[in-house]
Amino acid sequence: MKRREFIVLGGTAGLLASTGISFAQDSWPSKPVTVISAYPPGGTSDILARLVADILTAEFKQQFILENVAGAAGALAGGKLARSAPDGYTILVSGSAPLAANKVVQTSLAYDPEADFEPITVLAASPALLTASMNAPANTLQEMLTYARENPGQLNIGNPGAGTKGHICAAIIGQSTGVEINHVPYKGSPPLMADLLGGHIEFSLDAPANYIPHIKAGKLKALAVTSAKRLAQLPDVPTVAEQGLEGYDQTLWFGIVGPKGMPAEIVAKINDTLKAWSTLPESQALLASFGVAAVLNTPDEMRATVAQEIQAIQPLVDAGLVQPS
Amino acid sequence: MDIFSGLLLGLQTASTLTNFTYCFAGVLLGTAVGVLPGLGPIATISMLLPFTFGLPADTALIMLAGIFYGSQYGGSTTAILMNLPGEASSVVTTLDGHAMAKQGKAGRALAAAAIGSFFAGTVGTLFIVIAAPLLAGMALSFGPTEYFSLIVLGLVTSMVLTSGSLLTGFGMVLLGMLLGMVGTDVNSGAARYTFGSPDLMDGLNFVVIATGIFGLGDVLANLENESTRAASIAKVSSLFPTRDDWRRMTGPILRGTGIGVLLGVLPGAGLLLSSFSAYALEKKISNHPDEFGKGAIEGVAAPEAANNAAAQTAFIPMLTLGLPGTATMALMIGALVVQGVQPGPNILVEQPALFWGLVVSMWIGNLLLLILNLPLVGLWAKLISIPYRYLFPLICVFTAIGVYSIRNSAFDVYLMTLFGVLGYVFRKAGAEPAPLILALILGPMAEEYLRRALLISHGNASVFFTSPVSIGTLLIAAVLLVSILLPSFRRVREEGLQEVD
Repeated sequence: MKRREFIVLGGTAGLLASTGISFAQDSWPSKPVTVISAYPPGGTSDILARLVADILTAEFKQQFILENVAGAAGALAGGKLARSAPDGYTILVSGSAPLAANKVVQTSLAYDPEADFEPITVLAASPALLTASMNAPANTLQEMLTYARENPGQLNIGNPGAGTKGHICAAIIGQSTGVEINHVPYKGSPPLMADLLGGHIEFSLDAPANYIPHIKAGKLKALAVTSAKRLAQLPDVPTVAEQGLEGYDQTLWFGIVGPKGMPAEIVAKINDTLKAWSTLPESQALLASFGVAAVLNTPDEMRATVAQEIQAIQPLVDAGLVQPS
Repeated sequence: MDIFSGLLLGLQTASTLTNFTYCFAGVLLGTAVGVLPGLGPIATISMLLPFTFGLPADTALIMLAGIFYGSQYGGSTTAILMNLPGEASSVVTTLDGHAMAKQGKAGRALAAAAIGSFFAGTVGTLFIVIAAPLLAGMALSFGPTEYFSLIVLGLVTSMVLTSGSLLTGFGMVLLGMLLGMVGTDVNSGAARYTFGSPDLMDGLNFVVIATGIFGLGDVLANLENESTRAASIAKVSSLFPTRDDWRRMTGPILRGTGIGVLLGVLPGAGLLLSSFSAYALEKKISNHPDEFGKGAIEGVAAPEAANNAAAQTAFIPMLTLGLPGTATMALMIGALVVQGVQPGPNILVEQPALFWGLVVSMWIGNLLLLILNLPLVGLWAKLISIPYRYLFPLICVFTAIGVYSIRNSAFDVYLMTLFGVLGYVFRKAGAEPAPLILALILGPMAEEYLRRALLISHGNASVFFTSPVSIGTLLIAAVLLVSILLPSFRRVREEGLQEVD
């Protein structure tokens, strides 16, 4: 329970630091709080953002209103958060792209995720899934790579936005196998999945939740899981590492941040509430049904996660593998 | 889910006390804003949008939809009684509607409009029931290529069928698309036309622009005819159509409904086009065309049926493809997205109660409107006589509050004011603003789909001509474009549109 102690300590420290400075924060939230969701409704990131809004609304007896700001792989939402007042009345729940990767992937990003955001917690994590349409010329990862080698430049892989973890995962496959991949960005998972179901694009790399029902119904083909372990809901789908890319292990995560300078006590209040919620068995079952597992680390641990992610992506950017198109 | 159990589910959803109450509130409010000049469904819905956040998705949509089709009924009341179209789509109704009123037949004209609208609304909702599941089933075969072509068709249609000169229409579409470019690029995150201003990073919100052009712009333009306005409110006598009226309006209502149902589905065509086409058709096939403009009941029944049918079927592409054919439909998408509902082919499977509840509520709403409009017409006439000196300051305050509440930004209020002035200039210059708003909404979508289609095809533009749906759509757009360059069609279009002016 080291983490919990840390949060309590951190929260107390925050409280002490702000005593006498502001009474307004003690009564937070005294008005509705905006929860920005960086992707359109229906995708895993948005489902989690709505979940966070519901949990916090129930706990604090104050409306947490969700606002979808979709586009540019979350950069629109990130920019909006960076420009809002750090008073605890605006937070962002999102997949990792606007919280980390965009910094190095998007050359003209209007904000710096490390300097402009106050980390609250990494909410959950999940592997990504390589999925193919029924008309795709491959049933396994290796068949896809063979197709790409025989038809150079023809392999299209859709992702939910430039710089999203799906995009990065695909770029790493390209980097380690030397095949050329044409990355096609979408505005989040639902439109990508619709195009995949209709056969307009052959492959996608994305969070698994939306795809699992269609895979089970035989309308899509699951090719590979990006984590080191197989996915519990799809035990027959092998990992990328099992299919010849040894050591390949990529996980996507969903985090919560506020604008830089958001009071530490409010950060702690949100972190504590979500942490307490996540320990309930029914909460874990709910998260599992979305294809993700709870993480709930501390703000400092999240800061480290963000820095690590940016460092890991930098070489891909330097090699010219993830430019947005 | 088959149609029968769908309708049953819809009846359950729409007949709950809450949903029925909000449906009633929606159509009541819709009639009021339809009657009042300067306050259209776009301004009203955008002001009420924040209020619906606390409502369930189905209730919110039922009320907003009620405002939209309710305003079509209200718009015709002022058109007939005062020669003032409350809504753009009731412009045609003034021609014969007000002429009838001057001959002391105002009640019969109102009845023709209301009955035509009710019949068309019923057919329109039935058409949704049949066509929406079909289109949703087909929607998966629509990829980025097909979406792009559909959007091109929408833009071309709105341009060709606008009143005023074609060149002006083209200019308005281009201006709208340029305004749509402002903001952050969807793929790369690069800032475009923002001049370093953080207020422009998220792009121009079309609600702000539309409220400015249609709300404030209308107020400014109406100030000019304040002196002439109160001149004549026609008296309403008998509301019952004569046997001869029934005989004369049955055919026009049927034909108007057919035109409205089909044109409502077409993106970009909208309600104005459907009422105009219905009127033109009736005049063409009538055996007494000289009566048109002098109080022919056909000229009231047909366009009113057409615009109300289109108001219902405009929901089809919005719900099943996520493609807004009009600015109001783009607002509806906004309302749904806030509720966590993404319009698109899966909406029937994922939100059956929402879809069927909306359809059934539309029929209930149309029935309510028939009751609201015929016996209570005197009440609405009173509403029109509110002096502008009270009404217009109120509208200005409400639009400012509505726009400010979208994202608590004072910048948006200034932006709205700027576009209010521009809206007045457009009106003076004879430039119809509807294509501009539609291009502002569809332009960024067109860009997104074009870029994606070309990325997938590795830069090969021939994909737009190899997909049957895409080539078919583009051909229709091309025929539309070419046809207005032909002198004969051009003359017809100009004649027709002049009548509307």
